[in-house]
Amino acid sequence: MSATRIDDRIVRVDAMEKARGEAEYVCDIRFPGMVYGTLVRSTVARGKILSIDVPALPEGYSFITADDIPAEGRNELWMIAKDWRCFASGDVRYVGETIGILCGPDRGMLSYLKKHIAISYEEETPAVTIDEALALKGGPIAGEDNIMCSLYCEKGPKMDDVFRQADSIFEETLETGFQEHVHLETNSAIVRQEDGRFTFYISAQCPFYVRKSVSGLLGLRPEDIVVKQTTTGGAFGGKEHFPDVLAGPLLVACNKIHKPIKMVFDREEDMLYSVKRHPSKVVFRTALDKEGGILGIDGKIYYNCGAYLSASYVVLQRGVFHANGVYDFPATHLEGYGVATNTFPSDAFRGFGAPQTLFAIEMHLDHIARKFGYDPAEYKARYFLRKGGETVTNGHIVEDVKLPEMLEQIATASDYYRKAKEYGIGSGRGIGISFYNHGGAFTGNGEQAIIKAHARLVKEGSRVRIEVGSTEMGQGFQTTLRKIAANALGISISQIDYPNPDTSRVPDSGPTAASRSTMVVGKIVEDCAREMKERWDEGDFSVEKEYVHPEGHPWDQDTFRGDAYLGYGWGACIVEVEVDRLTNEVRTVGIWSSHDIGKAIDELVVHGQVNGGIIQSLGYASMEKMENRDGRFRQSSMSDYVVPTSMDFPSQEWFLVDNPYQWGPQGAKGMGELVFNGADAAYVDAVERALGVTVVKIPIPPEDIEEAIENAR
Amino acid sequence: MAVRNYIPETLEEALELRRDEHAIPLAGGTDIMVQHREGIGIAPDVGKPVMIISNLAELKGIRRRDDGFVEIRALETPASIASSDIVPWHVRQAAARMGAIALRNMATIGGNIGNASPKGDLPQPLILLDAEVVVASVGSERRMLLDEFILGSKKTALRDDEIITSVLIPEKEFTHLFYRKIGTRRANAISKLSLSAAAVIRDGIIEDFRASSGAAGPKVIRSREAESLLTKRQVSEIPDIADDFIAAWDRAISPHAMPRYRRNTTSRMLLHFLEALQDETLTGIIG
Repeated sequence: MSATRIDDRIVRVDAMEKARGEAEYVCDIRFPGMVYGTLVRSTVARGKILSIDVPALPEGYSFITADDIPAEGRNELWMIAKDWRCFASGDVRYVGETIGILCGPDRGMLSYLKKHIAISYEEETPAVTIDEALALKGGPIAGEDNIMCSLYCEKGPKMDDVFRQADSIFEETLETGFQEHVHLETNSAIVRQEDGRFTFYISAQCPFYVRKSVSGLLGLRPEDIVVKQTTTGGAFGGKEHFPDVLAGPLLVACNKIHKPIKMVFDREEDMLYSVKRHPSKVVFRTALDKEGGILGIDGKIYYNCGAYLSASYVVLQRGVFHANGVYDFPATHLEGYGVATNTFPSDAFRGFGAPQTLFAIEMHLDHIARKFGYDPAEYKARYFLRKGGETVTNGHIVEDVKLPEMLEQIATASDYYRKAKEYGIGSGRGIGISFYNHGGAFTGNGEQAIIKAHARLVKEGSRVRIEVGSTEMGQGFQTTLRKIAANALGISISQIDYPNPDTSRVPDSGPTAASRSTMVVGKIVEDCAREMKERWDEGDFSVEKEYVHPEGHPWDQDTFRGDAYLGYGWGACIVEVEVDRLTNEVRTVGIWSSHDIGKAIDELVVHGQVNGGIIQSLGYASMEKMENRDGRFRQSSMSDYVVPTSMDFPSQEWFLVDNPYQWGPQGAKGMGELVFNGADAAYVDAVERALGVTVVKIPIPPEDIEEAIENAR
Repeated sequence: MAVRNYIPETLEEALELRRDEHAIPLAGGTDIMVQHREGIGIAPDVGKPVMIISNLAELKGIRRRDDGFVEIRALETPASIASSDIVPWHVRQAAARMGAIALRNMATIGGNIGNASPKGDLPQPLILLDAEVVVASVGSERRMLLDEFILGSKKTALRDDEIITSVLIPEKEFTHLFYRKIGTRRANAISKLSLSAAAVIRDGIIEDFRASSGAAGPKVIRSREAESLLTKRQVSEIPDIADDFIAAWDRAISPHAMPRYRRNTTSRMLLHFLEALQDETLTGIIG
């Protein structure tokens, strides 16, 4: 067996078993005596529960509610904040809120019983949109003003002074909608007791999050609960915290009935009753000089958090920190507000708050550039951040910024400058461009202060086992991490094992989120592997290491000042479209991207991430419309909530620039979210140019383009 | 709760089951299985006996008849219809764009008609072409225009002892043809709006003009009133008639959701077709 090197292009280690259908998912697993669980949910967006009438349950069936949480437990799911209740009790705050879990052996009978549980409510007026919540429609949901969390950051001279010097002011409001994850495998979990401990088999990104979140329901410690991640068929953030919403009721029920319980959402449940990307509203007010140069940007950022804070404050922080995009403006003041509404709580989704503000700043600059007659690419390039440049949190960019080189790459490949001039505004053809970045890993010193990740390598004979809590969810981490280890050990990737994590056996390497796995966990594994290689002849042994925080990254989590991120991935994207003037259908004729991810650990994995991330972003911009009326999502299937097919965005030309990152394995930085963060704005820019319209809200399916055309008249 | 389901082996047996049990015919199941889904691990509950008719040889085949009709038997799939060279162009276009590849191999023309969704792909071009539908019951058969068979959204004239057996399309040569389906995306999509149009122009006279709109009202819409404004008129008169024609068509359609988009797009497509009729260099399929 020859040693695997980083630059070898290899077939993903999990490709065959998944392609053959051999991989075992939660829905494939059965245990003796296992029963099924189904959630009984609120059908109103806001109200008091007056009564719950449960029909006489046949033998072997039970209905479990908040009343079944033992005295030593607390009715809360711990997802950064602890406000999300496991079971609604007394009142309900959104459609789909869990009221109880019905358990029993036959799923047909469960469905029948579920239809016969009668819950009566005293309904109240819900606030569903950001505007409704800010207007306190129906009275406040959270606090006195529905603002669940807020922060600001600023740099440069005071805004009042900046605006006093302005020749003109450009103000606009930019909005983004809900987005559904549409992971191929729906949410699912099994709980049972094994050797006296509650044990989960669960489709999840973060097994250690699950045990931390639910253990308090029974007054237990996290380590009293075992979480075994099962092969996970996609997540995109939708299985970061949300599995807790399944695991909580399952745990309380298992504590009551002492049988294995399995719960698998069907697609409709997974669409209607799961977390979504935060809808956003960004108001930019920009002070301009006579030539349209930017003196300063004042931004107000609102995220629709839904009924519970849960992880939203951190999402909002990332949104605010990315709200000046890849640019160094002389002055900025950014305020972020997390707004409580009566919708299903919003939560993690690839990009984690960054895509919304990046979209807003990109469109805003496009609109200013067009107003003053500049090419958006040239206009934006004036403000590119450079090494040493100041970020919005008064930190500094510590790496070389390769954006000029990346712009050159994609502009040449796409023939951007010629096309931008030749295709007139409103000609039906358009080419658009965007730039974006993504701060790798947890914000500030979170990796050091909060996570303190551990990773372990175990040598048994000539084989080496990776023990981490990090998960494969389709993104390719099984391949990436094994490759890092094999490369550092100088052995073949086929000698490395990396079982799905079991929290009772592996150290906590932190959540598989925040584009941190390759950059942070990969580095710890690489360090372990280096030591193991030196001691290779010692026989069987293990090496465990803790994360070491790079020096020189000051951060104050109370004031949000300093280096918000250890390093950034950078991206540039060009999209070319032709719009059918009869139907407003947009045909994408070209997509060009360039990314700086430090170093690609596996080019095939990276290729998949680039293609997938860009297509997901283009879907977000063009067709993925999730509407919520009166607190109810209107799209409930994959035929009415459409995600792109390969016919919609058939080909991409992609580039990487080499820019090794000092603290990453082999120079790698995070990239899983970066590739989602910007193609949307390039697409919308292209459509705007093709039609001579201004778009301030995505998505823009043909019927919304119709509206933009009418508005332009 | 126990319901008997059947797999008849002949059309005769199926018609008897239909008469005696009012059994619901299931051919591809691509609508029934979705409409009656009950969740993972639970059998769909149709509420009535179901008979699986997928294998009835009598209901298969596409042929050109001697009487000027193309006959498509009810169990033919969109895949086979799309690849048949005797099926009229508009119908092949619609069949080729239905759903996903798997669906196009499972669904049937009989089912697509019987489901009577205003978004259904096949009824729209069939109604354009004055297609007729044949329905059978034990010992008898009826034949009527598809436009009359489909009564409204999800409503047809099918009686509970009848089965759709075939579709008859009058063969007709058109000098100008137009078909567009605007889906929710470029493939595997439900129709957001669709339009077919066709015309026969000879010696500067519009001998035949027709159009049909899908997903623009409770059923496929043809407006004979609007069409009559153009038929038998001179091509050179189109500029004078166009506004009245578009207005008449707009009155005929009644889109519920996204009305402005559906109305404006329909008008733009019809105008585009009318412009093509006036351009002597353009005949055949109008892009």
